[in-house]
Amino acid sequence: MNLSRLFNSMSLSIPEQHLIELLELNEKTQPFGLTLAPDEIKQLLAERNRVLHSYGRLELGIAATKEIIEVFSESPHIRQDHYASTLNELHEIFYFLKNETEDKIGDAKLIGIMKDCFDNECGGSLELLRSKLEEFAADFRIEAMRDELLREGEDDE
Amino acid sequence: MKLDHFGHEANDSRLPIPQSEIHFSGLKRNQYTLSLLNEGQRAGLLDNREAYVIQNRLLLILQDLIRRYTQGKSSSVTTETAENILASVLYAVDAYLASLENHDKAILCLKTGDIADLYEKGVERVRQCFEETKRLYNEVKRQKLDVPVEAYNTTIEESLPIFLKKYGILFDAHNTMASMDYPLALDDMRLQGIFYIKQYLERLQIENRFCFKFAREDLLRLLENFGSVCRFDYRIELFNMFELVLNNALFSVLSGGDAGQIRISPYQFERLERMFSYADASEIRKMIREAMTRLQHNLQILDPKTVAYMNECGQNLIRRIVNAAEYHNLQAVIITDMEEKIQPVVLSLRAGDRMSDVRLRRLLDEIIRSETKEEKVRLIQSNFFSLHDYLDMLESDCLYGDEYDALYASFGDMELAILAKIVFYEELRNGSGDLLSIIRQKEDAEPDWQKRLIGFLKRLDASRINGIDKLIGKIDYEEISFY
Repeated sequence: MNLSRLFNSMSLSIPEQHLIELLELNEKTQPFGLTLAPDEIKQLLAERNRVLHSYGRLELGIAATKEIIEVFSESPHIRQDHYASTLNELHEIFYFLKNETEDKIGDAKLIGIMKDCFDNECGGSLELLRSKLEEFAADFRIEAMRDELLREGEDDE
Repeated sequence: MKLDHFGHEANDSRLPIPQSEIHFSGLKRNQYTLSLLNEGQRAGLLDNREAYVIQNRLLLILQDLIRRYTQGKSSSVTTETAENILASVLYAVDAYLASLENHDKAILCLKTGDIADLYEKGVERVRQCFEETKRLYNEVKRQKLDVPVEAYNTTIEESLPIFLKKYGILFDAHNTMASMDYPLALDDMRLQGIFYIKQYLERLQIENRFCFKFAREDLLRLLENFGSVCRFDYRIELFNMFELVLNNALFSVLSGGDAGQIRISPYQFERLERMFSYADASEIRKMIREAMTRLQHNLQILDPKTVAYMNECGQNLIRRIVNAAEYHNLQAVIITDMEEKIQPVVLSLRAGDRMSDVRLRRLLDEIIRSETKEEKVRLIQSNFFSLHDYLDMLESDCLYGDEYDALYASFGDMELAILAKIVFYEELRNGSGDLLSIIRQKEDAEPDWQKRLIGFLKRLDASRINGIDKLIGKIDYEEISFY
């Protein structure tokens, strides 16, 4: 049973629904001067699917995409002219981080960390954001491994 | 006892109904639902639409479980995680469907039943099996054999409890994440997850209960003799004890001994060797079957599962005897009581006789500072008595070049045999020939003391090596600690 294929076949009617959900989000992002056109949304969803596939992940629904849009629309560094391309890049970084932090950080928290880093340390640079978050993921894994060893040690006692 | 249609125990007590177009060979116990879907479509019992609906229902269960898995904190998981959870879902559905009377009934159930309901029933079966397995484990642990066989002890004391602690009914039901090294006489690896572990424990319990019918000292003696025959340390090797005990009990019955006896004297061995050598395969089969019946009768073994298990093992034994008789190698099958072990006189093998670390360090210093090899050998001979200390000294590199040769030249055959047994452990246990050919074939070794020992032994004449070889067979492996 090819799981990705099956999931896709189950969701054949869903892209339309996702499109509507994301168009509705424009209402929330409009006050920040940011909106997505239907074609941009289609492209964003296609890019998201590509990224999910390339990172070997499956997603139920588009909750993470919506969260990324809502949270990042408040950033002072994002402008309408590069809004769609920034969102594409943020998806790439987000799913990369999900894998690299071994799914140990929930979506909302991870997106919060990304936003904080993007706005402050990186001054809106996506390149810098990727490199900072790579470091973050490496540190996180070391810390997680240390915790695990400590827990195992406690279990043995 | 009622078995499912794969021969495993089932709960349902209804009678089977006749089979239809389903090909049994196309179905797998491990992926029952999936193979049933494929085979059902092939036989025309399910159309594509129905198969699609069933798959969709399974994926809805998966979606729900993924949400539970991430505790709602993440909307995506890795494909690997999703596949793992799906395998767990299918394992539960398999558990229920395999408990039905036959494959037609199982297909009908898939076709017309509520898949979510089948899944829940399956999870309940898995949960029940898990509870029964925990109870069974406690019994096995309580009635464990008192033997120094590492794989047996760690399997019961460590691996199984870890499995029971980590097993997850919802997300990991299909996994058999246990490193149970101890091999059963008969294992059925077609099962997975908790059903496999339960079966493993049931069989282990049959084996334990049987072994308990014999005196512990006889069992230990048998293990020791088995180690000598195989030229390995039985404590650290992977082998099945039940099979050894059963075989020797059968040999005892066949050679005029008692059914409760597993020690076979050289005299009994000769008698058995004569019997098997002059018999053909069908006569050997008959002998073993009759001996098995007598053994079961005399030991009052009435439990049908135990009887079936023993009979199945008897089949393996028949094959082994026929082969061994043909190649005049019956001593590898009939484990005969050896004469008492010769204890090395010079080296103490008791860990308690080791010297303190401080004293050892001081002596090693002194050896290094000594100027001549004769002086070094004298120091070693007058201060080192324990094998453990000898090994520490050899490993410490306090000797160099021909100083090793001088030390080895001061050794008697027994000391050389002990060291050779350590250096050539793998070759000896693999039965790579006699010591002389093993030494000749050995090219190189690490560390240095082993390399020098091999060189030294290569220079000894064949008759001395043969003498050392004989001693190797008589050394008690139990007493040598392989660091």
